Amino acid sequence: MDSFKPKIVGLFCNWCSYRGADLAGTSRLKYAPNVKIIRVMCSGRVDERLVLKAFALGADGVLVCGCHPGECHYHKGNLNARRRITGLKPFVEAIGIGKERLRLEWISASEGPKVAETVNSFTQTIKQLGPSAFNRRRNEH
Amino acid sequence: MKGDVYIASSTDKEVLEKAECGGVVTSLLKFALESKRADAVLAVKARDGNRYDGTPVLISQPDKVIETAGTLHCTSPNIARYVKEYTDGASDLKIAVVVKPCDAKAIIELAKRTQVKMDNLILIGLNCTGTLPSVKAKKMMKEVFGIDPTDVVAEDIDDDRLVITLADGTQKEKTLMELEEQEYGRRENCRRCETNIPTMADIACGKWGTSDKGTTFVEACTEKGANFIDAAISAGCISIRQPNPEAVQLRRKKDDAAIQSAKQWQERDFSSLKQMSSDERFEYWFGQFERCIKCYGCRDACPICYCKDCNLEADRGLVPPGEVPPDIMFPMVRITHVMDSCVNCGQCQDVCAMELPLSRLIFMLNRDLYDIFKYEPGVDIGQLPPLRTVTEQELSLSGVDVAF
Repeated sequence: MDSFKPKIVGLFCNWCSYRGADLAGTSRLKYAPNVKIIRVMCSGRVDERLVLKAFALGADGVLVCGCHPGECHYHKGNLNARRRITGLKPFVEAIGIGKERLRLEWISASEGPKVAETVNSFTQTIKQLGPSAFNRRRNEH
Repeated sequence: MKGDVYIASSTDKEVLEKAECGGVVTSLLKFALESKRADAVLAVKARDGNRYDGTPVLISQPDKVIETAGTLHCTSPNIARYVKEYTDGASDLKIAVVVKPCDAKAIIELAKRTQVKMDNLILIGLNCTGTLPSVKAKKMMKEVFGIDPTDVVAEDIDDDRLVITLADGTQKEKTLMELEEQEYGRRENCRRCETNIPTMADIACGKWGTSDKGTTFVEACTEKGANFIDAAISAGCISIRQPNPEAVQLRRKKDDAAIQSAKQWQERDFSSLKQMSSDERFEYWFGQFERCIKCYGCRDACPICYCKDCNLEADRGLVPPGEVPPDIMFPMVRITHVMDSCVNCGQCQDVCAMELPLSRLIFMLNRDLYDIFKYEPGVDIGQLPPLRTVTEQELSLSGVDVAF
């Protein structure tokens, strides 16, 4: 299990979390290399298809990051994301992917350390959970 | 006035003879056409006298309405979808529609999605404690009751019993529990359904609360429904009296008993799924989804799936064409797109060629989402689907989970 390197898809908002990750980089913060960050224009852009497709293609976890409520570049895109991700959790739980594998966080452009912290803790969680059921199934066949 | 209740019966002899209990619904439909309050009525009729094949019919002549009198239990036509597809969401036609609670809920969900023009509809609701799947019902008549299915002239579900009346007047009955243990009885989604009185429709009609045969308990659930009933009374189409408090009590008691039974079924259906470990759930559901033949039956039957340009079509790039079983995105997207507004009508499961327990999964998710969002689909037209609606007050909340 120690050799398990989780693959995590990060869907980061262009206006805050992605800049936060930039800041973490320019501040030379070290954090787990497991998250592949995809920049989206708003966390509200993240619909169920993106999350589910990530899982179906072998992501062990999906991390969605957006602006804090009230700070969305598009007024309330992040609140749409909040509802959508909250609503998606019972689904991923019910079909056996596990709701812990899906996380939503608010990270602003100035919160570089929070990016490192979130990525580290989420990677830790996924490491404990092991490979996702999709990946295990794929390895068996 | 909204909220008024009556014990009513038809004043039309012909209707009284043919109708099940009082003929109020048939008379109201007739009145709707005669008074030009509706251009057409939408009701269900047995095709060629076959009680196991109920088809929705759109009727514009008052004297034809009588053909739809009487209740059919062994069929479950897709009324909401009919209104949307074949009458273009009642965009230029005033229709009085006879609905079961799930039909009424689905029509209201469609109205929220601007697919149905609510102003043009009068929803006449029927109390419903469940319908039977037609093929299984025929088999049940033969194997459990030992009768020819075509001999049946009436069915009734009351007090947890199924009562069947034959052409020669004899009655046979069995408890639903007994039938459902043997996998007969009501459709799976109906067993779970908690909505027995369609209070979301304009008018709710049913026999609960009546003591003598030949009368219907009628409730005006909206102003529109109340005006309609008042007009029907002044035109002399139905005769009414006030129900005594015991009758109202009795109706509520029967409703409560049916709700309790539904809750037990929910517990029973869902607990087996919820008790599985995460891995078992994955194996179970993906085993089911692997049987999918991508016939699009569930999407086409779903009364609230309304997109003209569906994401799951082969040319949209999400699900690769020509694969059976389809890419796993097919069932997953299909389910997540409707789970917040599922009205538990069971149409997806009815049409599924591979008999996947779709309605069970979608309705279970819907109940989970109800616990989070407190959104009851199809009840209040002003309450919008929770996964797509953001309220102003949320701007001041801070956590990542939705908390109200």
